[in-house]
Amino acid sequence: MASVYIPVQGTEEEVRVALDQLPADASDILDILKAEQAPLHLWLIIAREYFKQGKIDQFRQILEEGSGPEIDEYYADVKYERIAILNALGAFHTFLGKVERAQQKEVHFKEATQCYNRASRIDETEPSTWIGRGQLCVVKHDLQMASDSFKIVLDEDGSNFPALLGQASVYFLMGDSEQQHKKALDYYRNSLDLYKRALRAYTSCPAAVRLGIAFCRYKLGQSDKARQAFQRLDPENIDALVALAIMDLQTNEAGGIRRGMEKMRRAFEIYPYCTLALNHLANHYFFTGQHFVVEQLTETALSSSNHGLLKSHAFYNLARSYHSKGDIETAGRYYMASVNEISKPQDFVLPFFGLGQIQLKFADYKSSLASFEKVLEVHPENCESLKAIGHIYAKSGENDKAIETFKKVTRIDPKDHQAFMELGELLVQSDWATAMEYLKTARNLLKKAGEKIPIELLNGIGLLHFEKGELEMAEQSFKEALGDGFWVSIIDGSVGSSVVNWSIQYRDQSFFQQLEEEGTPLELPWDKVTTLFNYARLFEELHDTVKASLFYRLIIFKYPDYIDTYLRLAAIAKEKNNLQLSIELIGDALKIDDKYPNALSMLGSLELQGDETWLTAKEHFREAKDASEGKDTYSMLQLGNWNYFAANRPEKKAPKFEATHREKAKELYSNVLKQHHGNMFAANGIGILYAEKAQWDIAKELFTQYQNCLRKFFYNTDATILLYLARTHYEAEQWQDCRKTLLRAIHLAPSNYLLRFNKFSASTLQKTKRTVDEVRATVSELQNAIRVFSLLSVASTYHSHGFDERKIETHIEYCKHLLDAAKVHRDAAEQAEQQNKQKMEVARQIALADEARRKAEEQRKAQLERRKQEDELKQVMQQEQHFERVKEQWKTSSNTPGKRKDRSKHEDEEGGGEKRRKKGGRRRKDQKTKAHYGEEEEDEYRDEPEAEDDYANTARSNDGGDSEKAPGHLLAAAGLEDSDAEEDDMGHPQSAIERKRRAWSESEDDEPVQRPVQPSAGENDLSD
Amino acid sequence: MKLAGLKSVDGAHEESIWAAAWVPAADHRPAALLLTGALDETVRLWAPDDLASAAASPSRGHALGVVSLAAHPAGALAAAVSLDSYVRVFDVDSGSSVATLEAPPSEVWGIQFHPKGSALAAAGGGSGSVKLWDTEKWKPITSLAVPRPEGARPDKTGSGKFVLSVAWSPDGKLLACGSMDGTIAVYDAVRMKFLHHLEGHHMPVRSMVFSPVDPHVLFTASDDCHIHIYDAKEKSLIGAMSGHASWVLSIDVSPDGMAVATGSSDRTVRLWDINTRASVQTMSNHNDQVWAVAFRPPGGTGVRAGRLASVSDDKSITLYDYS
Repeated sequence: MASVYIPVQGTEEEVRVALDQLPADASDILDILKAEQAPLHLWLIIAREYFKQGKIDQFRQILEEGSGPEIDEYYADVKYERIAILNALGAFHTFLGKVERAQQKEVHFKEATQCYNRASRIDETEPSTWIGRGQLCVVKHDLQMASDSFKIVLDEDGSNFPALLGQASVYFLMGDSEQQHKKALDYYRNSLDLYKRALRAYTSCPAAVRLGIAFCRYKLGQSDKARQAFQRLDPENIDALVALAIMDLQTNEAGGIRRGMEKMRRAFEIYPYCTLALNHLANHYFFTGQHFVVEQLTETALSSSNHGLLKSHAFYNLARSYHSKGDIETAGRYYMASVNEISKPQDFVLPFFGLGQIQLKFADYKSSLASFEKVLEVHPENCESLKAIGHIYAKSGENDKAIETFKKVTRIDPKDHQAFMELGELLVQSDWATAMEYLKTARNLLKKAGEKIPIELLNGIGLLHFEKGELEMAEQSFKEALGDGFWVSIIDGSVGSSVVNWSIQYRDQSFFQQLEEEGTPLELPWDKVTTLFNYARLFEELHDTVKASLFYRLIIFKYPDYIDTYLRLAAIAKEKNNLQLSIELIGDALKIDDKYPNALSMLGSLELQGDETWLTAKEHFREAKDASEGKDTYSMLQLGNWNYFAANRPEKKAPKFEATHREKAKELYSNVLKQHHGNMFAANGIGILYAEKAQWDIAKELFTQYQNCLRKFFYNTDATILLYLARTHYEAEQWQDCRKTLLRAIHLAPSNYLLRFNKFSASTLQKTKRTVDEVRATVSELQNAIRVFSLLSVASTYHSHGFDERKIETHIEYCKHLLDAAKVHRDAAEQAEQQNKQKMEVARQIALADEARRKAEEQRKAQLERRKQEDELKQVMQQEQHFERVKEQWKTSSNTPGKRKDRSKHEDEEGGGEKRRKKGGRRRKDQKTKAHYGEEEEDEYRDEPEAEDDYANTARSNDGGDSEKAPGHLLAAAGLEDSDAEEDDMGHPQSAIERKRRAWSESEDDEPVQRPVQPSAGENDLSD
Repeated sequence: MKLAGLKSVDGAHEESIWAAAWVPAADHRPAALLLTGALDETVRLWAPDDLASAAASPSRGHALGVVSLAAHPAGALAAAVSLDSYVRVFDVDSGSSVATLEAPPSEVWGIQFHPKGSALAAAGGGSGSVKLWDTEKWKPITSLAVPRPEGARPDKTGSGKFVLSVAWSPDGKLLACGSMDGTIAVYDAVRMKFLHHLEGHHMPVRSMVFSPVDPHVLFTASDDCHIHIYDAKEKSLIGAMSGHASWVLSIDVSPDGMAVATGSSDRTVRLWDINTRASVQTMSNHNDQVWAVAFRPPGGTGVRAGRLASVSDDKSITLYDYS
């Protein structure tokens, strides 16, 4: 064992110090060194020896003493050794600074800098000081300073080995941190040159030089030369071994990987604490799925290294292992640890990706987005990250950004079916055609790749077709998505036809149970439920409700919580008018979620149809509206309907309520229309309201619109709409159209007596009777009407039709009167016709006897007369006056429709009667604006005035034009109503029902004729 | 089985055509003829296959429009029901009136002759009954009331049964009538006794027909868009077919009993295979509601060729070949 000899001051003797027997307490030896004023190089040797033996404290103690101010004093002439001690101490602090953590680091760097500064003060040209400084700068990652330091040395001595090495490593590091590839290569090239120079300068150099050369070549892409360089090293050299292993692994071939792993293993066997090797092994075992080994290896790696990046790799391996095992919480923690070891994502980006995925799973979109964006910083075209980001945007409702991101993905990788699929789904709402395009592209890509097309994709395509009304295409897609299963036998009908007896009982599941017991597999994978549901909707659309209901029930059988299926079944039941069943099904749905707005509004609308339950309906609509935060137009619409309905309920007492309800209904409808301009139901609702307020222009427009919609969607089977149309025709005085429309309505809704009533009221009462034929037809129609009305009155003893018997009787009375009158008319008309002929004959004879001109004139007049007779009776009257000779006969008989003549007479005598009538007519309309009762009733009212007019007129004509009697008759005719009206005026307390009835029977009637100026009783009644 | 359009007559009536019936061939007239009735208050007669008008002039006076037609199996007489509630029985060839029947206090909707022709049954609408007349003296035989089903909910109009349609079984033993509320009453037509109700529909049943091959099987058409197949004797629902988009207004069964045809508010005529219970064909030639479909009965010349006629609100008649 080596020894040092400390010369004893003033003698020739020496103290021998065996280096392997250095005292544990450095003070002992220090005492000797100081006492004997030993040469400084001995101090250094002893300190180094302590260091070698790992006795850092002693090492430090000696060096610190050896660099103290006393030494400077005693050994002022000994420059080199003092510098060497300071440099050693500097290097020591540099090392400590490198391994210590943050704060300590700075302290050591400071110490090191001080050491070098002092050394420089002794001799600023000493190369080893500069080299030490350079290394300190390298450690501090101040590469430029480091390079400058080394350069100073190299400028003096181009073959200074440590400086060459230092400069080479600086260039290498510069290459590593250089962003631009080209510049980086330049650095590596410089580094390589320096390493080569170092090798030449010192051929028996340590392995580091060759390693450096190998790494530079590797970095420069000269992998063969790099490999050779590595191989030239000691086969036991861990770094070379690991590097070769990595190079083998990077070949990405099975053989290469195997060789690589063998080398890694060997490296591991030689030195089990090489973090890099550990990480690579862990990586390998991760892919072979041996998670336990992974954990062990990474734990060793973590404990054996302080290197941030390597630790990060190790954490990443652990995280990945947990991630793949499904323990995403732990995985998340390790990803986070891994990320924390990295100063910038360029170093190691993978954990950011993993972390992003975990954060996405935990719906922490903001953090996740940040993580993925880190990945993009390094790999701006990483499709996976882009897709994740797109997904996050989509999830947070930023569809535009999401679409943009996915579009970017498709630009980068036009074969990324996932991106196309996501794009398709995002665009479904806004752009049908493009969405379809994208989904189809995705499907084609998958088909080309020979991969299984995901159910969601097919489902999406199907849905798009479905919404576009391309039902066959939709069906194809759904079928493809569903594949094989029990549903196939439903689709092809082989099950459906055998199970009809339960197809009505939607709540009965025994059939499926029976099938299962018989061994028929009824599997329904969860991912197919939605598609099955959509297919069922398709069946509904195709009106194949039997199959649709089977699908729904299969879903319920397997997934009893799928709430929408109950509602669909309820809707089908409701469609079939099976209200009880429908309510029960909705009850089932509400058991699952009692706040489900759709179920609530459906229940409400069902209850609205039921007699006893209509009050609770409102509650349900309101609940539905609340549950959906007012966004559910349907429930709003329904509330509107409810209000309208409530307004028309006979039980509602004060008309004030009616008005309020109406207003409320209108408001709700308008709100709906504001939100959805095309909502025809709301348009219809407002139309009805306007109609009842007699704002015909607006109403007509809305109805026309509505009827068009109806024709499109409901095949025109709504009798009520026909009724409204009839009403419109009526207003337009298109009697024939009015009558036909009503007949159609009756045909559609045979049991609606109200229609019938209206029809006969309309058809009998306001036909203008012009020709004998028409009069005859009218007479027969009147006879019919009487029959029908009598039928109605008898029938009403069995059924309640919603109108008053008394009213019918009144009508019958009118009809009878009319009939009598009409018979007279008919006789008169027949007579008139005959006499007309006679008259013509006479006129002709006279004309023959007289001069030709006059004859012509007569004829012309006769023709004119005929025409005018057809057109306007008033003109007939004027014409009459020309034929004075036949005046007498004429006066009694030729006024074909007698009433007209009478009216003109009336007009003559009373002056402006016609005008008054018109005025009356207008008044009726005015009153109607205040009318509160249902449309049907109104029709009836509208009829009545005419009836009474006719009646009054016929009465007058019967009286041979004695107009004085007319008012009496009018009163008699309107008698029933009048008495009611008077009662009303007196304000007798009456039951609500009676009141309602009165509203039916009395009215704005014909009061104008009787009391043209005063507001009618009806009006008073209705407006208070 | 399939349908092939043979001939269509547009504007066959001036107004919506609501009823159609085949008059079987008779001794004096070798071919069956088609009767149609419309809102224009006329009944017209057509000869297959070119649908030439077979009568000198349409029979008029069916006030307010014809809602139902039925031909006597002997081929000489037919009955038409109008909205004025009269049943007018007339001689098909001459058009002369034979009898005018009335069923007070209510109106009449569907009618059908007994398969042997001995009686005429009519759905009595709001009277909630089926009226029967004998066909010799045209005197009322009886009125079969439809009882309320046990525990039935009173519907919202508060009215009782409103009877819309009638059907005799081919053996004359059963009589069924369909109502507004979807229930079907079945009677023992020999003893004239109510047997039971058939349930399943909840909307008006406007048309019904018994199978010619199985006298218990009844096909019904309802506003709920479904066609039901019942065993009327055993009171069971044995099949349901869906596919129409709107009310099924009319139904008839092919003479071979293999298929039924339906007409619907969805403007289509559909042909259904009874065995598979599936729609086999949809004809979309009409552009408004199809109010009646009728298969030509067997007998007379050209019997082998199956014929189906359909009439619609679009005022047209279409004749199809059924094979």
